[in-house]
Amino acid sequence: MESKPTGNLSIDGIHVDMEHLKKGEVNLGTSIMAALFDGGVILGADSRTTTGSYIANRVTDKLTQVHDTIWCCRSGSAADTQAIADIVHYYLQLYNVQNHEPPTTQVAASIFQELCYSNKDQLSAGMIIAGYDARRKGEVYSIPLGGSLHKQRYAIGGSGSTYIYGYCDANWKENMTEAECIEFVKGALAEAVKWDGSSGGVIRMVVLTERGAERKIFFPDESYKGNGQ
Amino acid sequence: MNHFPEAWGRPRNDVYGAYDASHLQSSMPNQHTQSPIVTGTSVVALKFNGGVVIAADNLASYGSLARFTDIERLKQVGTHTVVGAGGDISDMQYLHEKLLDPLIIKEEYQNDGHHLRASHIYRYLSRVLYQRRCKFNPLWNTLLVAGWDEGKSFLASADLLGTTFAAPALATGFGAHLAVPLLRRVCPDEAAVENITREQAIAAVEECMKVLFYRDARSLNKYSLAIITGEGVESVGEGAAKEKVTIEWKKDVELQNQSWKFAEGIRGYGAQVV
Amino acid sequence: MPSSTSIGTGYDLSNSVFSPDGRNFQVEYATKAVENGGTAIGIRCKDGVVLAVEKLIGSKLLVPGSNKRIASVDNHIGIACSGLVPDARHFTSRARSEASNWRKLYRSPIPISSMADAMGGYAQAYTLYSSVRPFGVTAIIGGMDEAGGPGLWMVEPSGVGWGYFGAATGRGRQAAKAELEKLPLPNITVEEAVKQAARIIYFAHDDNSKDKDFELEMTWVRLEKGSAEELEEGGATKGWGKHEEVPKELVAEAERLAKESMEGGGDEEMEE
Repeated sequence: MESKPTGNLSIDGIHVDMEHLKKGEVNLGTSIMAALFDGGVILGADSRTTTGSYIANRVTDKLTQVHDTIWCCRSGSAADTQAIADIVHYYLQLYNVQNHEPPTTQVAASIFQELCYSNKDQLSAGMIIAGYDARRKGEVYSIPLGGSLHKQRYAIGGSGSTYIYGYCDANWKENMTEAECIEFVKGALAEAVKWDGSSGGVIRMVVLTERGAERKIFFPDESYKGNGQ
Repeated sequence: MNHFPEAWGRPRNDVYGAYDASHLQSSMPNQHTQSPIVTGTSVVALKFNGGVVIAADNLASYGSLARFTDIERLKQVGTHTVVGAGGDISDMQYLHEKLLDPLIIKEEYQNDGHHLRASHIYRYLSRVLYQRRCKFNPLWNTLLVAGWDEGKSFLASADLLGTTFAAPALATGFGAHLAVPLLRRVCPDEAAVENITREQAIAAVEECMKVLFYRDARSLNKYSLAIITGEGVESVGEGAAKEKVTIEWKKDVELQNQSWKFAEGIRGYGAQVV
Repeated sequence: MPSSTSIGTGYDLSNSVFSPDGRNFQVEYATKAVENGGTAIGIRCKDGVVLAVEKLIGSKLLVPGSNKRIASVDNHIGIACSGLVPDARHFTSRARSEASNWRKLYRSPIPISSMADAMGGYAQAYTLYSSVRPFGVTAIIGGMDEAGGPGLWMVEPSGVGWGYFGAATGRGRQAAKAELEKLPLPNITVEEAVKQAARIIYFAHDDNSKDKDFELEMTWVRLEKGSAEELEEGGATKGWGKHEEVPKELVAEAERLAKESMEGGGDEEMEE
C-alpha cells in the first residue's frame, strides 16, 4: 500500500482530510445529528454512503445501537466507525453484566473517546453519542476527529453539517417537546441533504425516552413529510 | 514558530516549503499524526503582588470553524495551581484526565499535609511534554502553569517541544505576539511585580483578551479568568503559620468596552470619502 | 473453627485442599487473624458513611497518629481494615488500582458496589491456590456514589462481601455489632454517627482489650462540595462523596462524650 499525502493543507495547516480514507474505501459523506428535548433525546441521519462520487448505498443506516438506550451516529470511514461501534457494544454488554446495572451515556461516551483518541493516527471517525438513562435523562456527546469529547445539548456532524450550523443555531430551543424536536432535526437534515452532495436519501431517526428506543423514517419522494410511522 | 498551533514545531513553509513526505515509505513503522484538529488559541497570564491572574477564551476551533464555544481551557490542578492550555483539545483532555487527575488523587493518599504545588505540576508537565516529543509523538499544546509556590506567585510556560521558561508576564499562541508586549508595559520585569495590584493585573489581562479578540481570527468574545492569591509558605508542623491559597474563578465573562463605533467614519479605501 | 481433632490431619496445611467435610481451614485461620485485630466499624448514614478503628498501640515509641488503618482509595471511598497490617496494605493498594483503572476506562469514579465486587473477587482468588494464603484481613469499604448514594460493604478473607447498614470486625466485633443494632440505621446523620462510632469503639475496647493502649482513628465520606446533591424519597443523599479524616475537634469532642458514657457505667441507652 502506498501512502501519498492527500487533501489540501489549508492556511490553517489543517488536514481536514476525510480523503485520507484508503483507496476505494467507503465513506459516510454524511449528515448526522442528535438533540435533547424535554423527556429524551433524538438521533438523526441521512442514508447516503459513497465511494468517490458513486453512491454505494442509498439506504444506509448510520444510527447504531450500542446499548438498550445508548445509540451513536457514525461519520467518516464506514469500516472504522462500524469497528468502533462493535467494540463499544461489547464493552457495554460486559459492563451491564459485571456491574449489575446498565451503563450511563457518559460511560459509553468515554469508551468511544478512549478508542478514538488512542487510535487517532489510524482512524477517520467522527461520532455523536446520544443516550437516555433514568438517572441523567437524555445526554448528547460529540467526538470529532482528534478524539476529544464534548458534552452538548445538540450536536451535528459529518460533511453536511457545515451547511446547517446557522440553521441549527437559529432554530435550537431549550426544552422542546418531542414533536418540536423531530421537526428541528428533520428541518436541519433536510437542509444538509439539499446542499451536501455527499448526503442524501431518507432521513432516519431514533427517539430515546423512558419508553425505550423508537425508530422513525422520512422519505425524499414525500418531501420528508408524514409522521415517520 | 507563529501563532497557528498547526504550525508549531515545524519549519516555516514560506521559507522551507511544505514538508516533503515523498520519502516516507509506506512500510515505515510507526507514523504518528503530527497535527492538531480541534484547537484552542491563546492563554494569557500576569503576576501581581500576592498572586497571579490567568485567562483563556472558551473557543475550540476546527480549522477556521468555530466548532465549540463553551470549552474550558483553564483547569484547577490540586490546591495551588491552575493550568491553561492552548493547542489540541483532545491532548489537553488527555493531560488532565489521564495524567493530572490521577496524579493528584495518588498524592492525596499520603494524607501528610503536603500538596503538589505549582512548581511541581509544572516540572511534571514539562517532563511529560519533552518525553512525548522525543517519541516523535508530541502532545500538541502550549501550557501556562499559574499558582502559588513557597510564598510567591508562580508563572511558567511549557510547550509541545519541552521548551520551558518563566516570566512575570506570559502568553501563548497569538498572545505571545500581541499580549506579551502589552503586559510588559505594565510589568517589565520580576521586580515590577510587587508594585502591581490585583485589580491592575486583572485590567491588563482583560485588555489583552480584547485586543486578541480584535486581531485573532480564532478567538471568541467569551472567556474564563482565574485569580490565584496566596499568603505564607506550606508548613506541616504544629503551630506553624499556615499557608493560605485561594483561587477565584470568573467564568463565561463577556468582553466589555469594545471599540467599534469609529468604523462609521471609515469610508472607502483611499480616495473615496462617501 | 477447626476442632482439635482436625488439627494435624494435614487438611489445614494447604489452601487448595478441602478437608473431607468440605472446609478450607486456611480461610478459617485467616479469620482467626482478623479476630485478633483491633476493632473496626462502619456506619451507613443518610448523608454519608463513617469509618472508625481501634488502633492498638504496640509501643510507646511509635509516633502518635502514624501507621494509619483507614486508607483512601480514590476520592470517594475509604477502606478500614482489621487483621494483619501488611495484608491490609496490599489489599488497599489493589483497591487503588481498581479505582484508577476504572477511571482510566470510564472517566468517572468507581461505584461503591463495583469496588466491593472487585475486591471480593480478589480476596476469593487467594483461597484457591496452594501457592498463596488468604488475606488475614477483613475490610470495611465505605463510600458514596452518584447512583447509589452512601454505600457500606464488608469483605472477609473467604472473599464473601455483603452490604451493610452497620458493619463491625476485629476482636470487639460482637460488642460493636450489639451496639450498632441499637442505632436507627441508616436514618442518622454523619455528625451523629461520629459520636456513636467513637462511643462504640471505646465500648468495644473496654470489653475486649482494656489493658492495651489504643488510638481512635475516624474518617467519613460526605458529599463533595460542588457535587450535585439529590435527595431520595427516603431522604438519603446521592452524589459523589469525599473521603477524609474527621476534623480533630470533632474527634476530640466525640472521644470526650465516649469516655463520659464509659464512666456512666457502660451499657446505657444511646443519647445525643
